[in-house]
Amino acid sequence: METIHLENSRGRPKAPNPEQVELKFSDQAVQELEALLTHYPDKKSAILPTLWIAQREYGGYLPPEAIAEVAVRLQRSYAEIEGVATFYTMYHVGHPVGRHLIEVCTCLTCQVCGAYRIAERLKAKLGIDFGETTEDGVFTLEEVECLDACDRAPVLQVSDAYIGPVDEAEIDALIEKLRSDPGSGTIRLADEIVKAQLHANEQRDIR
Amino acid sequence: MASLAQEPGLVTITIDGTELQVPKGELVVESVKRLGREIPIFCYHPRMKPVGMCRMCLVEVGMKQPDGTVRMMPKPQAGCTLPASDNLVVITDSESVIADRRGVLEFLLINHPLDCPICDRGGECPLQNNTLFYGPSTTRYVEVKRHLPKAFPLSRHVTLDLERCIQCGRCVRFTEEISGDAQLAFLFRGAAMTPRTFELTDLDSKFSGNVIEICPVGALTSSDYRFRARPWDLETRPSTCLECANGCSVWFDHRGGKMVRINGRVNDAVNEEWTCDKGKFGHGYLNAPDRPAKPLIRKEDVLAAADWSTAYQQIVAHFEDGRTAVAGLVGAKVSNEDLFQFKRMFHRHFHSPNLDHRWTRILPSQTEGVRGLHGIDEVHTRIAEWESVNAALVVGNDLASDQPMVYLRLRKAWQRHGAKVVVISERPTYADHFASAVIRCEEGKLFEAVARLSAAVLQNREGADALRAALKPFAPDAKDRAAAEALKGEFFTVCSESVYAKPDGGKTVSALANLAVGTDNAQRFNLYPVGANDMGAALLGVHPGGQGMNTREILEGCIQGRIKSLWLLECDPFALWHDHQQVQDALENVEFLVVQTSAPNQAMQYASVVLPCCAHVEADGTYTNIERRVQKIEAIWRPKGDAKPSWKLFTELMLRMNPSRPIFEPSELMEMIIAEDESFAPAAYHNLEGNGACLPLGVDAGAQLFMEIYQ
Amino acid sequence: MIGEIARDVVRPILTGLKLTAKRLRRSKITVGYPEVKRELPPRTRWRHVLARYENGLEKCIGCSLCAGACPAKCIYVESAENTDEARFSPGERYAVRYEINMLRCIFCGYCQEACPTGAIVLRKDFELADYDRPDFIYTKEMLLEPLPIRQ
Repeated sequence: METIHLENSRGRPKAPNPEQVELKFSDQAVQELEALLTHYPDKKSAILPTLWIAQREYGGYLPPEAIAEVAVRLQRSYAEIEGVATFYTMYHVGHPVGRHLIEVCTCLTCQVCGAYRIAERLKAKLGIDFGETTEDGVFTLEEVECLDACDRAPVLQVSDAYIGPVDEAEIDALIEKLRSDPGSGTIRLADEIVKAQLHANEQRDIR
Repeated sequence: MASLAQEPGLVTITIDGTELQVPKGELVVESVKRLGREIPIFCYHPRMKPVGMCRMCLVEVGMKQPDGTVRMMPKPQAGCTLPASDNLVVITDSESVIADRRGVLEFLLINHPLDCPICDRGGECPLQNNTLFYGPSTTRYVEVKRHLPKAFPLSRHVTLDLERCIQCGRCVRFTEEISGDAQLAFLFRGAAMTPRTFELTDLDSKFSGNVIEICPVGALTSSDYRFRARPWDLETRPSTCLECANGCSVWFDHRGGKMVRINGRVNDAVNEEWTCDKGKFGHGYLNAPDRPAKPLIRKEDVLAAADWSTAYQQIVAHFEDGRTAVAGLVGAKVSNEDLFQFKRMFHRHFHSPNLDHRWTRILPSQTEGVRGLHGIDEVHTRIAEWESVNAALVVGNDLASDQPMVYLRLRKAWQRHGAKVVVISERPTYADHFASAVIRCEEGKLFEAVARLSAAVLQNREGADALRAALKPFAPDAKDRAAAEALKGEFFTVCSESVYAKPDGGKTVSALANLAVGTDNAQRFNLYPVGANDMGAALLGVHPGGQGMNTREILEGCIQGRIKSLWLLECDPFALWHDHQQVQDALENVEFLVVQTSAPNQAMQYASVVLPCCAHVEADGTYTNIERRVQKIEAIWRPKGDAKPSWKLFTELMLRMNPSRPIFEPSELMEMIIAEDESFAPAAYHNLEGNGACLPLGVDAGAQLFMEIYQ
Repeated sequence: MIGEIARDVVRPILTGLKLTAKRLRRSKITVGYPEVKRELPPRTRWRHVLARYENGLEKCIGCSLCAGACPAKCIYVESAENTDEARFSPGERYAVRYEINMLRCIFCGYCQEACPTGAIVLRKDFELADYDRPDFIYTKEMLLEPLPIRQ
């Protein structure tokens, strides 16, 4: 949890004026957003997919500017958007994540099949703990609840792919492979979710 | 059990064995109040939508079956989200309900720090009260409590203590539903849920003070009131806020002759129970240490304390029979009685008509105002009526600043039944977010914007051909036409007199009145004053009338030497008049300057005589708000030093000049006002108990158009 | 006649003197106040003291509960906020002014009972006489326990 710090000053920074918020969505993102909005009764309903667009556009996480832009584009208040974004763990609010997000499932089945050994191995290999990002900004390691892939336990989610069952020996090769991958898995994941949303909505229209 | 006769719209429900009829859909938590019983609540608030977040209002619920048996629901239900329906059976005092309440309270208190002795809410805290009446006396929780930041300043006025929060959502819902700025939201929903602002930015809502009052624990407290007193230390008196012309009812808490805090007082006709921040936090001047306490007279460039008699002597010498060489300027926080007596003194004893209470750039004379040009009254709509309007046109400055309570009502109308609101303004306003159309014009182009919209509105209508012809030069664009869609039927118009501070303010108001008259909406036209008792001053005729000088002419007259003596009653021209240099020149050049004030101001340094007068909480008096509601304010504490109520001071001066029957009570002055102006008849003192009395509104003399402004 | 005098006058005098003579042998009950002072019972309630913690911080947090409990309304409390630079009590809040009007006080001890931190205690000092009425308003400085001496 992000804690807030006690400050003595009574004056606080002002929230940005909505008319001065810099809008950074690419043309493609704007088109996607417009397509999405046609599928919802009001703009409030489109908060979640729009946050995915923002997460993609802002490099795999949601800095305050991204939240502000979503709020302005959907004509909601900043606080409401931040409240939604902070509820869901798949939105990375405020802090950047690495190019590749490695999520280790430590729920029952995976645990029994050695998820903690895998996790320790990953920690040692990357030199970081859960919730941390490597200094070069390539990897972020997270502990997650059940990934719904018990048949492949112990399973890892690496950005947009499930990998499992894994054993400790495979970890090194996986890390090297990911390190040499110049693309960002986190952005790819966001993009796929946006596409899936658009696609799902299109299909619903056809029906 | 014999059922009561069914009336339409009513349903029969049974609460604790008592059968009663309530409107269909009424929430059980409200129905229970009809029996004089109570369901404990935290998150429920009668003026907001129920959410059922705190589970404090759990009751047992069942349905009476046709065969007479009662089928109870297996689990208790939240009374605050349960609408009354026919044959509903509610039990509020069974063993299981009592156990449920204990359980909920024990749960809420698990992480509550119980620092009641230092908490500002201690003593008036719903959590304390409910725990005392319904809660367990001990806890079974022995583990370490959660620790979170304490005393975090969300803004200059509001301090957040996260440990105390019970996550009822009242504050979040207030900013979403009532004030509409939605600056607070629940972040990190789950175990770490906290109400806060976006990125901890400033909570700069115009209504942020209300979240302090509705917080059922001490999580949101006032930074100004922080640790200043406990509720049992305070003396609480009903009063009326004079920070703007809405005249909201407030509770005035004071201790040892010092104002400590302001809380909203329920008055369904005006402010429901809300206050704006200007009113809630704006009364600090009453505690200013350097308020004048004695008459001061200038002696060789220094103001020295003197007695009343010397001060009166000097004033009489300079003002008596001044003809046109004396003038008086009045501020906003002056009671009807003071104004009346001031005017009487000027007219009868100083023989001068040079009086004005207006400080705007444009000072329309009797023949130039809305009444003069258009033959309609300035005000037609009462504050409470705004919540039932279907369409409204808001013009000029931010409505939430000028008329906060009208803004809240209008927003309520939008939220309840989707009232269509069109905003024309130069800058972003609070009402933008719910307006169906916003016309943002450049600075100084308000008149053109109103004219273009008028043209667009008239395109949708029959009649008013003359106006349509006059509006030819103003071609509406697509935006205007879109906005005009919202104003197809009846619509209300609201504008504040602060628009007169703009160079084109007079034309704007006239164009607006033309639009209202041309569309048969003259009965829905409103030009509300902004200063606390500007309405009273206008009704009592504290303006130049036909022959006198207005504020600008008085200031110019001072510079040119036409005005020899000037009286400033509760006003600081430096703060009110737009041209500082002109004020400085005027005050430097005028021969004799009387500054009568309750708070120190900049004009005092030019004064020949300074007269201390009572602030509104130190003297009895009545004030007229925007809807012509005359409300009485009673003295709460004794005047500072030798200060006198203004009307008393004027009376004493008048007796000095012309011995006659003295006046002892402000109620006598009100009788004199009524004798002079019949429209004040409802405001006799015996009628003013409670929420005051309303003077007639919408006194029209035959609406007419005024086309010259469009040329 | 003599018999009557002996019976009604002399005999009672002698009886009295005998009692006196008997009592003379016993130790004294009275003490030579003010030179000598008697140990008061443990639950004596006299002059108030604002106690301190061992580290010297005031126990009083300025909560005003004593003022609320006081039936004679003789306590006035004004509180303020501790800062890290000027810390008077452990928590957020401390009493910046604390006054008791001793002329009004009835020494009922309700303040002591109401106090959540045990800050105000009624101790045994009962010599409260003074010459001027204003001197009976005891301020916080007068009520506070002296700072513990550092070893």
